[in-house]
Amino acid sequence: MTAKRLRAIALLAISMVFLLAWAFPIIWSVLNSLKTDSDVLAYPPKLVFSPTLEAYRDVLFGSGSILPNLLSSAIISVGTTIVTMLMAVPAAYALARLRFRGKKFAGFYVLATQMLPPVGIIIPYFLVLRNIGWIDTYQGIILIYLSFSLPFAIWLLVSYFEDIPFEMEEAAYLDGASRLKTLWRIIIPQVRGGIAVTVVFVFLNAWNEFLFAVVLSGNTVRPVTVAMFNFVSVEQTLWAKLAAVSVLAMLPVVVLGVVAQKHIVKGLTVGAVKGGGRR
Amino acid sequence: MATTAATSAGIASEAPRSDFGRVLAQRERRFAAALLAPAFLALLATTTFPLLFLVYTSAFRLDLAMPFTNGFVGFENYQVLLSDERFWTSLLVSLVYTGSTVALQVIIGLALALLVMDMKRGQGWFRVIAILPVVLSPAVVGMIWRTFMLAPEFGIVDFLAINAGLGSKNWLGDPTLAMVSVIAIHTWQWTPFAFMVLLASLASLPEDIYEAARLDRASAWQRFRRITLPLLRPAIVMVIIMRTMVALTAFAAIFTVTGGGPGTATEILNLYAYRKSFTELSIGYGAALAVALLIVTIIISGILFALRRAK
Repeated sequence: MTAKRLRAIALLAISMVFLLAWAFPIIWSVLNSLKTDSDVLAYPPKLVFSPTLEAYRDVLFGSGSILPNLLSSAIISVGTTIVTMLMAVPAAYALARLRFRGKKFAGFYVLATQMLPPVGIIIPYFLVLRNIGWIDTYQGIILIYLSFSLPFAIWLLVSYFEDIPFEMEEAAYLDGASRLKTLWRIIIPQVRGGIAVTVVFVFLNAWNEFLFAVVLSGNTVRPVTVAMFNFVSVEQTLWAKLAAVSVLAMLPVVVLGVVAQKHIVKGLTVGAVKGGGRR
Repeated sequence: MATTAATSAGIASEAPRSDFGRVLAQRERRFAAALLAPAFLALLATTTFPLLFLVYTSAFRLDLAMPFTNGFVGFENYQVLLSDERFWTSLLVSLVYTGSTVALQVIIGLALALLVMDMKRGQGWFRVIAILPVVLSPAVVGMIWRTFMLAPEFGIVDFLAINAGLGSKNWLGDPTLAMVSVIAIHTWQWTPFAFMVLLASLASLPEDIYEAARLDRASAWQRFRRITLPLLRPAIVMVIIMRTMVALTAFAAIFTVTGGGPGTATEILNLYAYRKSFTELSIGYGAALAVALLIVTIIISGILFALRRAK
């Protein structure tokens, strides 16, 4: 028994360590968000405590509430998702299904745009938006979010468009339906699932973005990823509140991630199969 | 791709030389152009135009703090850059950060994928837990690590270090430890990515080769070395390419955790370009740094793609 059994136990222990290592920082933030400040600061760290929603009440409804920032994040993410999908669905269909000159180049161009480091995009954009007074505006930030959401969405959608059988389109043509009608009535319903997955990922990436947000945000547009810095300063850190804000910032993406669980590998690696790209 | 073109052309190619066929093909082209136009105009405006404007900006002295010194300087920013010690340091930090995080992600991710693949129960737990870090905002991840995990005499990592007899450490204040910390944080967040991708490709490997190898009495190591590794190679190279691109332009986690400090200990080239432009407000020089980062990215991805094509 022994050698084999010992090996199994060792492997189980190792895997438990990794599971714990991944889950712990998140669990710990949730626990800390349910503590009072004195419980958070207790040493050694407290695992058993009487939970309270005080921190959540303070960050949501107290002075310096982060509700406007959560709203800001939501507006940016929803806006980016809508604009991205309106442009990406037709483009992806054309790239996946239609025949035209320069198609290969068009596909390559979409991939190549992702090579640009974001810092190289934000420097010129900052100068332009400053000139036209679009710093700290939703249109400014949503426009620049297209730089990463569009290539991603196009390639993810192309992979779904390629999966549907051609017979359906041909049958529709033969019935005399126009191209636009075919796309709208026949094709789009076929890729509903793929569109839903793409929406999840575009929303997620927009919600999580930080570099563009930190440069372009101000008093009007201030997503929660930027606003959470209000809770850490040189003088003092508001521990329990910071934990509560972190949990609130994590909540939507964790829910979406778990919902889209089965599609996550595809979503993470899209484009790579065709020759490049990144998240 | 080839089948796509062939089949979608099916309708038109039934009569390739007739006027009817030509009209159909032309209509298809016009339709394609109309569908592509909005997305491509947006991409031109948000990626290609900024790139051109970035290169243009890098030829200027553009100092928001001292506007009276601004003006065209040609290649001066690049000349300064080549003899700028902070640039070379940041490039080195970038390479160390990228190299170590990518290597760690692939090695740990692959090892875990192999381990989990053999598990009869509990695979589901790994699949769900692994999703959590990768969907989080790197800014939030950085914030959690900076405070609840790494703060001296408060964070859990420090608590463990004290109990292990190592004593309390200034995880983010000491240059070496700060570098180790930011590498560890990036590895923590993105190893699940490598794990999930490699687990998915492991699961798709054909079973019968392993049966044959077992009949030939190949050892576990031989099976891994001779069968698994070669079959996984495309997936591994893909993970390396994708993670390298991301690590080179990592920003939020480092910005949140150390801000590039202490001093410039964790200042990767990406962060240096940001600090130069938006903290020191020296935008022309920052643009030159960003162009340098782009060139480094192109060179490294060129090498990686050559590696992918090589047998």
